[in-house]
Amino acid sequence: MRLKGCAYPVTNMPSNLPLPLDGIRVTDFSWIVAGPQATRILADLGADVVKVENESYLDSMRIGLKQDADNPSLNQSGFHSSLSRNKRSITANLFHPKGREAVERLLAVSDVVIENYSAGAFARMGFPWEHLQEINPSLIYVSVSGFGHVGRDASYGTWGPTAQAVSGATAMSGLPDQPPAGWGFSYLDHSAGYYAAIAVLMALHHRARTGEAQHVDMSQIETGMAVSAVPMLDYQVNGRTYERIGNRSRHPATAPHNTYRCAGDDRWIAIAVDDEAQWASLCDVLGLDALCDDPRFVDMTTRKAHEDELDEAIAAVTCERDPFDLMLELQGRGVPAGVCQRTDDKQERDPQLAERGFYPTAPHAELGEHRYEGLPMQFSGARWRMDRGAPLIGEHNHAVLTELLGYDEEEFASMVSELAI
Amino acid sequence: MPNSSSAPHEGPLEGLRVLEIGDLGEVAGKLLADAGADVIRLEPPGGGRSRHVGPFVDDDPGQPSLLHASRNTSKRAVTLDVTQTAGLAIWQRLVGLVDVVIDATTPTFLDNLGGGWQWAEGQSDLRDCVWCSITPFGRTGPRRDWVVNDLVQLALGGPMMSNGYDDHQLPPIRPDGEHSIAVSNEYAVSGLLAALWMRNAGHPGQLVDVSIHEAVSATTEGAFPNWEYFGRLVQRQTGRHSSPAPTAPWQHLAADDEHVCLINGGLPRGGASWTGLLDWMDEYDAAADLRDPQYQELLFRDPRSNPEGRLHVARTIGDFVQRLPADEVYRRGQSLHFAWGTVRRPEENLDDPHWADRDFFWEGACPGVDQPVRYPGAPYRFTRSPVRLRRRPALLGEHNHEVYVGELGLTIAELREHLEAGVV
Repeated sequence: MRLKGCAYPVTNMPSNLPLPLDGIRVTDFSWIVAGPQATRILADLGADVVKVENESYLDSMRIGLKQDADNPSLNQSGFHSSLSRNKRSITANLFHPKGREAVERLLAVSDVVIENYSAGAFARMGFPWEHLQEINPSLIYVSVSGFGHVGRDASYGTWGPTAQAVSGATAMSGLPDQPPAGWGFSYLDHSAGYYAAIAVLMALHHRARTGEAQHVDMSQIETGMAVSAVPMLDYQVNGRTYERIGNRSRHPATAPHNTYRCAGDDRWIAIAVDDEAQWASLCDVLGLDALCDDPRFVDMTTRKAHEDELDEAIAAVTCERDPFDLMLELQGRGVPAGVCQRTDDKQERDPQLAERGFYPTAPHAELGEHRYEGLPMQFSGARWRMDRGAPLIGEHNHAVLTELLGYDEEEFASMVSELAI
Repeated sequence: MPNSSSAPHEGPLEGLRVLEIGDLGEVAGKLLADAGADVIRLEPPGGGRSRHVGPFVDDDPGQPSLLHASRNTSKRAVTLDVTQTAGLAIWQRLVGLVDVVIDATTPTFLDNLGGGWQWAEGQSDLRDCVWCSITPFGRTGPRRDWVVNDLVQLALGGPMMSNGYDDHQLPPIRPDGEHSIAVSNEYAVSGLLAALWMRNAGHPGQLVDVSIHEAVSATTEGAFPNWEYFGRLVQRQTGRHSSPAPTAPWQHLAADDEHVCLINGGLPRGGASWTGLLDWMDEYDAAADLRDPQYQELLFRDPRSNPEGRLHVARTIGDFVQRLPADEVYRRGQSLHFAWGTVRRPEENLDDPHWADRDFFWEGACPGVDQPVRYPGAPYRFTRSPVRLRRRPALLGEHNHEVYVGELGLTIAELREHLEAGVV
């Protein structure tokens, strides 16, 4: 099919291949972004992820970025639909004994339970690890909190930007003569989700080998520190404190390596020259042959020593050029270059993402047919799925309770009337 | 039947054997190795890229690289020139020893030599092999062979247009740390573990084709739904989320010249936090007009109304925190249930006792360094199967003898011959 405004046809994955995690069931108490990102990956890979919800502990992503602000609904957030696609939803009232019993029955037939509340909150809701083990000794429990469940500051709270600030990720982003720019989104919510999906899979492998289930205690801030090893080692070994470098390259010390303004409104291109052949090609494409002969720029060492003048000379030319034309020309000459793409560039004008089927479409009962970001991988003997957007709240109450948990119709009706679910 | 229990030191991936080649998959290999897998990193005889990229010990390029150390804990290391006929033959035998190949070369390098997935797929004795390819754009598509690096990947994938400053005369910003490798490798580990799960259930091994461009493109958060559902583009802002419309500042310079991050402009999420904050501000005579009941009303009764009033509250809180040291803003704010943080440089975490309580940093040897160093550990604490530092980063070719003679069955004379011919 072809979507309005999109230059490319949309291709969805073939559906006759198996899903890698078919048969795995996840009870999902997660909310906002970090936990749902983890269970999104598991659901895309075929796990049956059952999101346990209730208006008393509602996933606030259901409220934000609504498509129709005048039509109150908990089902109209496209952001939520992206994060909770392919999952099922039940509502359970944990203050009602029957609602709690339904959740415990679900836990009893699940492989994994995951939550990303503040440390200790899930236990206070009645689900400490010891009780989870009583309900189901095979159940793997993954908790994702800001500082982890262990440690003197475990009670502290985070959102993505807090975690980024404390971890060092914010300080490592920005120009040297400016304040930290940080990340323009909750990077560590996504990173924590990626690591939590890994943790689930590792714990499943361990259980398959040994029969042991376990609690995995994850810290969102630690996901940021785990990718900051280089400055930490540099500090310990060479005594160097971290200094921001903007878009330049300190290691390796190459130049030019920066973003340059192009023609158009706030359009930029990244160019990174790694060797002398690329440098010669860049000068040729930009019509800056004189730069090649300039003693300030004859090799990498001199270019690095005169990087301000070098960047100025390049930017003086790129600002007249269309960024996409320039990117194609430079790539045609083997020079690493890429437009700083906006989302519309990626969704409507990126032939690579289009050919790989990265934005498949799927239906949603209230949002209709929309595109979704894909899983960034393809399998030769399996598939990931993009079957449907996020579930309506409580959409699968009947199916989960009657087909999976063994309630009969009469019991189900009474639970509905008693507001247990 | 599974065993009844694991030994206390065993990681969750104990028993898994992995072969890693190429320069874009070192993080994936490390995640597996720290979790107990036996990961053999294979490098050309001159060493892989990370050994030649700084920072170096003592800033001496003749000393070991700290970039290499950061990505190669717990692995073994062998050298091999797979472009030579004898090297290719050894490579093919090595593949037969492992469960997983992390192939982070190019989409065609190993296939052109006759030792890639196309070859492995046809070998009946390699039916169980999971082949995880990590490349800049994946193994198919019109831009498959484009030349890129981390900066270019973060430009093309979209994060840069969300990161930067309110002043758009300043460029979009690429956060430092090769995050394109981080996120793609994190996805790769999920993908290859999922493929292993299938294999262990009786399916054949398979190719997992991971695209760094797609992994980065999937990591831009609100930029996607804003475009898909509203046709809006988000704009970069200093120290806070990109947004279709400007929002109040979140980041402030505290009195000790350190920055603090006040999520959502520092606005409270609960009445107790708000009362506590006002009491705190009163200690500095900084509450201004915030005790006026209208602000309590607009913050908690109808949070979406009166954006100007909310902006006034955020600015007043911002003015207040600029009068305090950053650590006081952080700690006292947290005690009032504000999820605020200090903007730390990464090394400032080394001495935070909270991380010591969690045993987050792993002390161990580092090549070229006399004293033990502390490596950032794993962000997950497995209660039954520890993820931990299993061995220091290996020297170039350190395990050639162990692997080639001890495990592959070459004679010492054959290994010597290959060394002399530059095959290993």
